[in-house]
Amino acid sequence: MALELSQNESKVFSEVHDLLVKETTPDVAEEIFHTGGVYGGPKARKVIQKVGARGWLCPSWPKKYGGIESSELLRFKIVDDMAYLGLPYMFIGAHMAGPLILKHASEELKDEFLPVLAKGNIEICLGYTEPQAGSDLASLEIRAEDKGDYFLINGQKMFNTSAHIADYHWLAARTDPNAPKHKGITLMIVDLKTPGITIRPMVSMAGWKTNEVFYDNVQVPKYRVVGELNKGFYYIMTALDYERAFVTGAYRRVFDDLAGYVKTASLNGKLLSKDPIIRQQLAELAIELEVAHLLYYRLADMLDHHETPSYEPCMEKLFGTELTKRVTNTAMQIMGPAAQLLEGTKGALLGGAMQHHYLSCIIETVYGGTSEIMRNIMALRGLGLPAR
Amino acid sequence: MIRLNEQQIMLKKSARDLLANECPSSLVRKLAEEEGGWPEQAWSKMAELGWLGLIVPEEHCGCAGSFFDLVVLAEEMGRACLPGPFMSSSVVGAMFILEMGNEKQKMEYLTKIADGSLIIAPAILEPKCDWRLDKISVKAVKTGDSYVISGTKTLVPYAHIANVIICLAATSSGPAIFLIDKKLDGVKTTSLKNMDGDKLFEINFNKVKVSAKDMLGKPDKNLVHVKNVLSKAAVVKCAEMVGGGQQVLDFTVDYVKERKQFGSPVGAFQAVQHHCANMFTDVETSRLLTYEAAAKISNGEIFALEAAMAKSWVNEAYTRITYTSHQCVGGVGFMADHDLPLYTRRAKTSEYLFGDSVMQRENVAKLLKL
Repeated sequence: MALELSQNESKVFSEVHDLLVKETTPDVAEEIFHTGGVYGGPKARKVIQKVGARGWLCPSWPKKYGGIESSELLRFKIVDDMAYLGLPYMFIGAHMAGPLILKHASEELKDEFLPVLAKGNIEICLGYTEPQAGSDLASLEIRAEDKGDYFLINGQKMFNTSAHIADYHWLAARTDPNAPKHKGITLMIVDLKTPGITIRPMVSMAGWKTNEVFYDNVQVPKYRVVGELNKGFYYIMTALDYERAFVTGAYRRVFDDLAGYVKTASLNGKLLSKDPIIRQQLAELAIELEVAHLLYYRLADMLDHHETPSYEPCMEKLFGTELTKRVTNTAMQIMGPAAQLLEGTKGALLGGAMQHHYLSCIIETVYGGTSEIMRNIMALRGLGLPAR
Repeated sequence: MIRLNEQQIMLKKSARDLLANECPSSLVRKLAEEEGGWPEQAWSKMAELGWLGLIVPEEHCGCAGSFFDLVVLAEEMGRACLPGPFMSSSVVGAMFILEMGNEKQKMEYLTKIADGSLIIAPAILEPKCDWRLDKISVKAVKTGDSYVISGTKTLVPYAHIANVIICLAATSSGPAIFLIDKKLDGVKTTSLKNMDGDKLFEINFNKVKVSAKDMLGKPDKNLVHVKNVLSKAAVVKCAEMVGGGQQVLDFTVDYVKERKQFGSPVGAFQAVQHHCANMFTDVETSRLLTYEAAAKISNGEIFALEAAMAKSWVNEAYTRITYTSHQCVGGVGFMADHDLPLYTRRAKTSEYLFGDSVMQRENVAKLLKL
């Protein structure tokens, strides 16, 4: 698919691509695969830092904060390429918290966080979900009591992915228990080394971890509040909308690996790629991956035209994530029974990767907004249908 | 992302307004009932506006519009569910002559296509041959500087009002396209009753003699030019289908906002909202793929993969949209006098035209070198 990067940005992208290819050595890829691909381990972090050093991790940011003032299209392309090559690519800090800091935070916070985020030197994890507040995020209860020059925080977060490797928590806490639910939430940045914070792992069915995070009388200095007091929920809603595009690159890679596999593998004496049914299935997946691709780049285009997306991010996330399940499910079917074998076992196919992808992507249609919520928002905001 | 330019936005709006006036759904239903019915009045207006020659070059009195302009227009025609020979004559017929005709043939036919005085009927399919075109049975036997054509074509659109038939026939050196005057001896048309309102015909060629000069291009075993034209036509058809899908989405959303059950508009219920969100996704993704293919064609780039992807996806998306709309509008949408059935019928027949999704996916697999 042709992307309309300017000549200049095309050159930059070529350079980025070359660096990414050079740095994604087999041992880096191995490390990432086992850490669930969220931020990778120490080897992956070094690669990210090399990308960040050139201003390519947050390329659309102002130069003073570590960007190269590029288009959003270039950023989307870089992230997609990182995903395709198997590098970590979902940076809560660089791509979700960062833009919110850029938009709403004080100059002090911008100076403290943006440059280190752009360089890839720190990571931030989201602190939104609680046991009783998932889709119904406004029902979050973790309490931040005003103590003058700091907040005293007590409560619990759940499903906070990468809290165990992040440096900071992007915390949404209740600062006004008397206001309507969505009007009493404040966003703040918390150093995860602050006394009183306990992180407990939760093991997912796909083998990688997420976390519970407990706050027991944790002190957070007031200057670490992002934007205005009690406006947190609104910031979150817009952020979830337009900074968090689902990146299909990783699943295009899964497809390409599958396509490569069927060209050499046989079952029942027949080469898989010559089976007409398999050809139909693969063609359908290729078409849907192209659709997801177009939905993804539509978001970049809107951002570059300073248009405010309304339903478009939801449609993109919905389609892309549901597609990942079709890709991996179809792949398991095509590859046959040996696809269930784990890495390192005799007869395992593609290093046992497909069963791992199959299990992993089940959560894609749940986190970041369930498919059901996505459809609700599309209906309400995109089509003007009435609320209950 | 592909955005319409100012002229295209204007074209879209004027097409929407004209067709809302000239082609209301009541007319579409009426013409579907009428033997041989077609929108003659709308056709003259379209000729006046230059739409019939939208892609015809200026030297042949056309508008010299781009392929993308055609796609913008086609979407509005699909929204109105416009029946008639636009696709078969002004798109397919014109494109065959543009791509494969010599100067004399272009001069002879293009101006008349553009002014609406000439209607072409493409005769491609046969009872035992689908859009894969693997086995063409209509034969054209060379005798001197003529060809004698015999055999049966089917599903030929608007043959009853056509002046010229474009016929794909097998010669000893490979299949070729012939321009056949409908009034020639041996040409017999039989009307077929059809699921959507468009008028289709079987044409029997019984030793029809045509000059070798009436061949378009050359015989070609691989049908390169023919498939090229049909692939482009498929993208125009996709645009028409996107328009139909959009219209269905729009009237479904309007309906569910009004229709009340259990004390609430049904559009407030999540299941209905999810159906609408699914239709919305189908419409928008269909448009994205169609525009991507259309832009490639307009820019003179290789487009076969994008065209096959678009037709494959849009085929199934449009049908899904109509099925889902039926779920949302309930019993009234099943009645013959409702607008939805016009689109449900059109969606299904559109799947076939220029190749169904199975055939398109075969092409995608080939083009991806699987």
